[in-house]
Amino acid sequence: MEIAEPMVHVDVPWVTIVWNDPINLMTYVTYVFQTYFGYDEMKAQALMLDVHHKGRAVVSSGSREEMERDVAAMHSYGLWATTQREDA
Amino acid sequence: MFTHDGSHVVLDLETQERDLLTQLYGQLHDLLAHDEMEVDADPFIQLMNMDGPTALPQDEALARLFPNAYLDDEEAASDFRRFTEPDLRRKKLSCVRDVLSQLQAFELVLALDSQQSQNWLLSLNDLRLVLGTRIGVGDRDEDEDDEAIDPERDPGFFLYDYLTYLQGTLIDVL
Repeated sequence: MEIAEPMVHVDVPWVTIVWNDPINLMTYVTYVFQTYFGYDEMKAQALMLDVHHKGRAVVSSGSREEMERDVAAMHSYGLWATTQREDA
Repeated sequence: MFTHDGSHVVLDLETQERDLLTQLYGQLHDLLAHDEMEVDADPFIQLMNMDGPTALPQDEALARLFPNAYLDDEEAASDFRRFTEPDLRRKKLSCVRDVLSQLQAFELVLALDSQQSQNWLLSLNDLRLVLGTRIGVGDRDEDEDDEAIDPERDPGFFLYDYLTYLQGTLIDVL
């Protein structure tokens, strides 16, 4: 008997992505990553620089519900954030 | 500007700055409150907090404040917006209203508690997002950034730079 391959990748986590924009200050973005995610200054700054130079950075990963919470929080700070599957 | 006196964040403004900020915050308030509540909406739907819009706002500044949460999935983006946008709009409005009431009672120097400073921080950022989107900050030539801006010719950029400066002084003391 053959076992069907699962249609969805249930184990693939979701990610929150923050996108670069010309208005949010670099110091502000760093402050938000420290305040909301509790990242230390070095990690928050590295993520901010990724956003600035690469145009985007993955700032958190987890279940879809958790990522939707993070995206909503980023929007409340005025950061441009989206969520998607990690492999998408 | 914002400073810190050891126990509080302190805001120190000239009368002219206070009047300018009151005007700008009034405009932000009106933009956010414009279609705040649909009078005829089903009360049950409202109670369940399912009364939100499903499409990206047409106004480009509002679209920047309430962006899509999904890039390639329209249905998921609509669902997310329906469930979260009303709450986000209420939060943004309540920040703006708090700052407006602070400005009304203002005697040029004000010691802020942590909630008040947060409200300033978030609403100053929203103000910069709205103004920056309206004047097209993304299109601005970076080489021109350091040159003095003529407030007569470029009132939008002049205001934007002032708000950037003010928010910068707040971030420095948080």
